[in-house]
Amino acid sequence: MRGSLHGSPPRVSRPEVLWSWMGAFLGMAAVAWINQWFFAGTDLTFTIGSLGASAVLVFGAVRSPLAQPRNLIGGHVISALVGVTCWQWLGGEPWLAQSVAVATAIALMHLTRTLHPPGGATALIAVIGSDQVHAMGYLFVLFPATLGPLVLLVAALLFNNLPAARRYPEFWL
Amino acid sequence: MTQRPSRDSSDPPSAQDNPAEIDLTDDDILEAMHEIPGYLDITTMDFRAVYRLAHRHAIDRLFSGITAGRLMRREVSPLTPEIPLVEAIPSFVHQGLKSLPVVDGQRRVLGILTETDVLRWLGAETFLGLLARVIMDDSCIKSEQHHRPVGEFMTSPVVSVPLDAGLRELLAAFAGHPGRAMPVISADGRLAGLLLRKVFLSAYHPDRRSWV
Repeated sequence: MRGSLHGSPPRVSRPEVLWSWMGAFLGMAAVAWINQWFFAGTDLTFTIGSLGASAVLVFGAVRSPLAQPRNLIGGHVISALVGVTCWQWLGGEPWLAQSVAVATAIALMHLTRTLHPPGGATALIAVIGSDQVHAMGYLFVLFPATLGPLVLLVAALLFNNLPAARRYPEFWL
Repeated sequence: MTQRPSRDSSDPPSAQDNPAEIDLTDDDILEAMHEIPGYLDITTMDFRAVYRLAHRHAIDRLFSGITAGRLMRREVSPLTPEIPLVEAIPSFVHQGLKSLPVVDGQRRVLGILTETDVLRWLGAETFLGLLARVIMDDSCIKSEQHHRPVGEFMTSPVVSVPLDAGLRELLAAFAGHPGRAMPVISADGRLAGLLLRKVFLSAYHPDRRSWV
């Protein structure tokens, strides 16, 4: 096995842990609140699991290139497009649809410089998602996959610039 | 008879041709990361790799444009191998040089004659060594040796550099031999000039670069 025991970044300070907790709490609260008040009882969904992964990046690794707006929005949108397309074209072979969706999402995120790990989850959710997700078709790209990350982005822009030690974004595009 | 220095610019960076490079330890990097609040999404290995390459690019950028061709002394009257030593020595004195390239009829470099070569042929390792012998016996340097040709005691092969050689190549070349000057060779293989080590050193001295 390649690799070594050295080189892992150090543990962050306690205030940093607290800031990450508060940011993620506010960001996810906004997403879940919108889902609860506007989408409950409709055929649409707003909270998808991959938003939790995005929250890790935008509130827990604020400086990471993977957490910047371009990646956050671009990664989800591109991956959702790939996921819905794979479900519609390859849905008869679920294993193929799932694997092609994630692999293609990664490739396209690389090519567009929008690599965002939660995007892989978004692509997978579009394939393995509930009947509700499948029924949305390409609306899935708009509702959870564009607006969800946008809500997180707004929360991150407001919150991550409050602590003196934080700054967001590092770059926009 | 010339040879290029063995190291060329496509080789990976090493401590030898990057003397200003500091080897960062994991502890150095982790210490620095501690001083930056927030989680840094990079390993120490990646940081070191980026740092090394960025440092190399910075050095190349700072010193790009300073080449052997720009630093060399163009006004050099080279020797030819058949010139007797007794005629070669005044040429050193007139030109104010301690090494002179030896060329053939087409100005292709055959070797270099240095002050050290001359002293060694006179049986002394250094000027002071020769002086000590002359003080003891002033006839010791009036021997047949002085009429023998330059070609017999020049240093050959000689390390030379092309006109476009930059910092890295020049550093490797000077480090690879003890000489104080190197012939600079044009693209067609002929002598273009002579690069003096002292000129090279002051050109790359960070505090004396105002002329660049």
